[in-house]
Amino acid sequence: MAKVQVLNVAVLDNPSPFGNPFQFEITFECMEDLPEDLEWKIIYVGSAESEEYDQVLDSVLVGPVPAGRHMFVFQADAPNTAQIPESDAVGVTVVLITCTYRGQEFIRIGYYVNNEYTEPELRENPPLKPNYSQLQRNILASNPRVTRFHINWEGLADKMEDSENVDPSPNTGGMLPPSCIPGKMPPLGQMPDNSMDCM
Amino acid sequence: MKLLKPSWVSHNGKPIFSVDIHPDGTKFATGGQGEDSGKVMIWNMAPVLREEDEKNENIPKMLCQMDNHLACVNCVRWSNNGLYLASGGDDKLVMVWKRAALIGPSTVFGSSNKLANVEQWRCVMILRNHTGDVMDVAWSPHDVWLASCSVDNTIVIWNARKFPEMVTCLRGHTGLVKGLTWDPVGKYIASQADDHSLKVWRTVDWQMDANITKPFTECGGTTHVLRLSWSPDGQYLVSAHAMNNSGPTAQIVERDGWKTNMDFVGHRKAVTVVKFNPKIFKKKQKNGSSTKPSCPYCCCAVGSKDRSLSVWLTSLKRPLVVIHDLFDKSIMDISWTLTGLGMLVCSMDGTVAYLDFSLDELGDPLSEEEKNTIHQSIYGKSLAITNTEAQLSTTIIENPEMLKYQQERQNSAQANTAAAGAGPESSAPKVNSVMNGESLEDIRKNLLKKQVETRTADGRRRITPLCIAQLDTGDFSPALFNSAPILPSGSSMSNQLAPQLNSDSSPGQPSSLGLRPNQDGMLTSPPANSTNKGLEDNNDGVKSSLLLTSASKMEPMKALDSRFTERSKATPGVTSAISSTAGLTPLDSRPKDGISALKDAKTKEETSSDSEDKMAAINKNLAFGKRKPELLMDGGEVVEKRKKGRPRKDKMAAPIPQSFTQITSPPEREPSKAVAPPAPAVVLKLPTPSTQKSFSLQVSMEPSVFLDVENEMSVVAGSKLSQLRCSRDGRDWNTLLPSPVIVAAGSSDVLAVACEDRMLSVFSCCGRRLLPAIQLATPVSALHCSAHFVMVLTAGATLFVWDVPKQKALVKNESLLTILSGADTTVSQSLLTQQGIPVIGLSNGKSYCFSSSLETWTLIADKGDSLVQCADFRSCLPSHDAPVSSGPLAVMQGRNLNAGRLASRLSSTPHHLQQSMTLAFLENQLASALTLQSSQEYRYWLLIYARFLVNEGSEYRLRELCKELLGPVHRSAASSWEPTTLGLHKRELLREVLPVIGENLRFQRLFTEYQDQLELLRNK
Repeated sequence: MAKVQVLNVAVLDNPSPFGNPFQFEITFECMEDLPEDLEWKIIYVGSAESEEYDQVLDSVLVGPVPAGRHMFVFQADAPNTAQIPESDAVGVTVVLITCTYRGQEFIRIGYYVNNEYTEPELRENPPLKPNYSQLQRNILASNPRVTRFHINWEGLADKMEDSENVDPSPNTGGMLPPSCIPGKMPPLGQMPDNSMDCM
Repeated sequence: MKLLKPSWVSHNGKPIFSVDIHPDGTKFATGGQGEDSGKVMIWNMAPVLREEDEKNENIPKMLCQMDNHLACVNCVRWSNNGLYLASGGDDKLVMVWKRAALIGPSTVFGSSNKLANVEQWRCVMILRNHTGDVMDVAWSPHDVWLASCSVDNTIVIWNARKFPEMVTCLRGHTGLVKGLTWDPVGKYIASQADDHSLKVWRTVDWQMDANITKPFTECGGTTHVLRLSWSPDGQYLVSAHAMNNSGPTAQIVERDGWKTNMDFVGHRKAVTVVKFNPKIFKKKQKNGSSTKPSCPYCCCAVGSKDRSLSVWLTSLKRPLVVIHDLFDKSIMDISWTLTGLGMLVCSMDGTVAYLDFSLDELGDPLSEEEKNTIHQSIYGKSLAITNTEAQLSTTIIENPEMLKYQQERQNSAQANTAAAGAGPESSAPKVNSVMNGESLEDIRKNLLKKQVETRTADGRRRITPLCIAQLDTGDFSPALFNSAPILPSGSSMSNQLAPQLNSDSSPGQPSSLGLRPNQDGMLTSPPANSTNKGLEDNNDGVKSSLLLTSASKMEPMKALDSRFTERSKATPGVTSAISSTAGLTPLDSRPKDGISALKDAKTKEETSSDSEDKMAAINKNLAFGKRKPELLMDGGEVVEKRKKGRPRKDKMAAPIPQSFTQITSPPEREPSKAVAPPAPAVVLKLPTPSTQKSFSLQVSMEPSVFLDVENEMSVVAGSKLSQLRCSRDGRDWNTLLPSPVIVAAGSSDVLAVACEDRMLSVFSCCGRRLLPAIQLATPVSALHCSAHFVMVLTAGATLFVWDVPKQKALVKNESLLTILSGADTTVSQSLLTQQGIPVIGLSNGKSYCFSSSLETWTLIADKGDSLVQCADFRSCLPSHDAPVSSGPLAVMQGRNLNAGRLASRLSSTPHHLQQSMTLAFLENQLASALTLQSSQEYRYWLLIYARFLVNEGSEYRLRELCKELLGPVHRSAASSWEPTTLGLHKRELLREVLPVIGENLRFQRLFTEYQDQLELLRNK
């Protein structure tokens, strides 16, 4: 079970001019003291077409994290406009908040972001070259899309592999719904065996 | 009989595998599949029972939902006292939930269901031991134990008074165990498995009492669950799926001799669940009819894969009622209300049905006293469980000492619960001090300014989160969450955003903070349906408007959708490593990208979300081919950033063989204190420290002894002299040596120096030469002194140990050849214990000591030993946090022991294997401590070992241990028994071990036996 549960993300300063920093107030709860920091990241998807235009706006370590309920504000600068394809500047895109523990992503919170001109003239006749100073960023805060990933919270890679080798319940006779396939852990986010020495 | 299908009880259409009504009848729990996890939900019973409550929007229907299980939840069960809820799931875990009464409503963040949790149920315990899906859980009468069964073929009995302690693990099934039921008088537990058997286990000694196979030989393992049930009078056990004449039945097993003569017949497909009504009934007395007392009878509900439900009275030959087509899919679970008149049934089709019976239909339920009377008349006083009794088990305690330990245990348990009960109150002031009386709203306003942000050594931002509630005993402080549930902006934004996306005007919207207070008011009231509907409508509005404004962007939207569920490319780890190698060797990159795409696909499968997402994910995989070059660039860029940030991560995350060959680092060595950085290993040639002009070291703390060496300080008659100066408690002495000193060492008793001319000199603490200079064959590699022993490890890989006062060699020119196998192995650490035992740690993680009595090298620690990694004896550690012993054994094993304990938490090793490994490990520790003559460590491990034996119930070994410690009661010449070991009196050790044994009632005979003998010996 995940040791860290995100209870809420409040989107602050929204809507706001495109150049304003992103501000997310994140509330999370931790089941037990974490020996290592959490790493949070804000990723701005510059273009739906390609991950090439993804920008990691910022990443912060959050810690120490004792058991309990915690909150912090994660502020990150607005994306670098030079790296956004001009055709994608206006319209809908996505901003992602991810959190990793021991290098493994365990939660991904996605928001749709709508970038629009506030001036009616600009709306009608958007300039070929985006005028970022006139763009307003609107994060669809009411509809976060949360994906949780199974990770190994203890940070020992070998056990993860073991869990893969455990035979999932055979012949439950089609009684399991398709979405209920006994969960195998993804072999991602493992650490090499010598990780202890590197720490 | 009334029948109701409350459509609002649903897991969004996902299957519901389990249902259980709370003992107080006010709520019930369901368990099953959630969106991408297992789901446990708690529902209000009132809207099920009364139509007006169902219509009343102020009465909440859903009370709480918990997504903590990572995979499908197969079973939910309330404890008999109603304080706890246990759930078991495909994630191999059993979770125990407790209500945190003092927190206001909250929601599960990001779940599509915006309904607030009215009650807060919090996971207070995770029970890990099963290595496969947990299929059923059951609380014993009086909540003494919690049993769980799993597809790993085992049943685990947990001590419900002392979670997460395991009482035992029942082995014997050879197939998936799919159902459990306790005997109502607590004498047995029965289990049914796919191995065509139903087994009955005794709770006295946890051994199998009966193995019933005949009715099950024809059964195939086609049902998801086999929930069997014991009748409330204890007389009958009714199985799930059994076969009789090729027809599916529910087999009735009589307690008396486990006879299988009767069954419930009639279902067309396998029986998945049987559930006895908790009440015993007697025939309704009609006015005017004869007052002749009728025989009490039981009532049983049977659910089947044929989607129908039958209810039987044991007094009738035919079912009381059969209900067909109640569900679209198999019935999965049944729960009766404690009154015996209501019943909830859940199905794989994701719905729940409620059946309401009348007294006329079922009869008059017996009162609890009458039920107890029946129990007593059948089972006798000693076995009958009355409500006032809260005993640990039905075993009679025969020994007053035993009773004492048992009582002590109960007292401490009660003290614990009392402390837990006092938790919320006591933690409140703590939180207040953190908060300084500020309201949460105030804090939130200034959080950004107030939060502490630092930079780590490598220049990264690090935020210290503000702790807003502490987590003690699973309950949060009441101080904060009564007034203001933290969730305003999430919902309030929808109101605000909707017009903005819809209409094209309204540029100057007030900030979200301005709107918040109003919204808070709405949210703090119970989630009225109108409000929720409004919000949902708004959501829909937003969605549609979003789609409208971006109709031309449908394709990108799909691509965007996939981004929500996909792991970040930018996360350190495998992916970035792949791209980094790709960047290094662009020619070879193609196949690897294929791998990465595969891996991505795998990840997506794991994070099973809705099918839409999956489709998008698949699309995305198809698109992968085209985007390869971009991925490379992207990856390269990320790696660039990463290198600035945390370069070591890059190195770690390089599992590609190619990059490995480039990065291969020299084999790691831990230079010990006395050994200078080792030179490249020549076969059997140990590194020697280089000569320094001068050096000083502290050789002893108490008394404090310092050594100063100054080499070649003066030239007398052409030869250079070196000076050794020693200061002990402020008093100095010095001596001169003809050759430069390479290494020096000392203890509070002796000092030793080795010179360049391979001479070893030994002095007393006052500077008197104790031994003539010893000529060594090869230069000294390491030198140690401890107590009055001197140890030399020469560069020629030989070892000497001398006892200085006795002027005697304990170890004489012993070669390390035996242990230095393999070319790369070198000595990484060496030490000498206070008892003069030399210990050598090698670079391959093994540590040896030379036993002068056995005249051999003995292995005392192996960091690569899988036993160390997997041994799990946490539950056996001393309760008070006694510092882990700090003797030579601990020094050599280092923190690796910790790693082993961590590893064991991920319980993916089968339990029996782990048990054997732990046993072997503990015995290794004992033997090692013995060889090292480290008495404190021996005692420490002995007690852990004893506790482990007690917990695991291995009487044979325990008896051997006691026997060895007690020795012969009557002195005899033939006996070779020594009364002490390592200076510890064995019988004293036994006295320490006995209370541990006394904690397990199973061993009370053993306890008594040795207690008596000890007493006898003491009186002698």
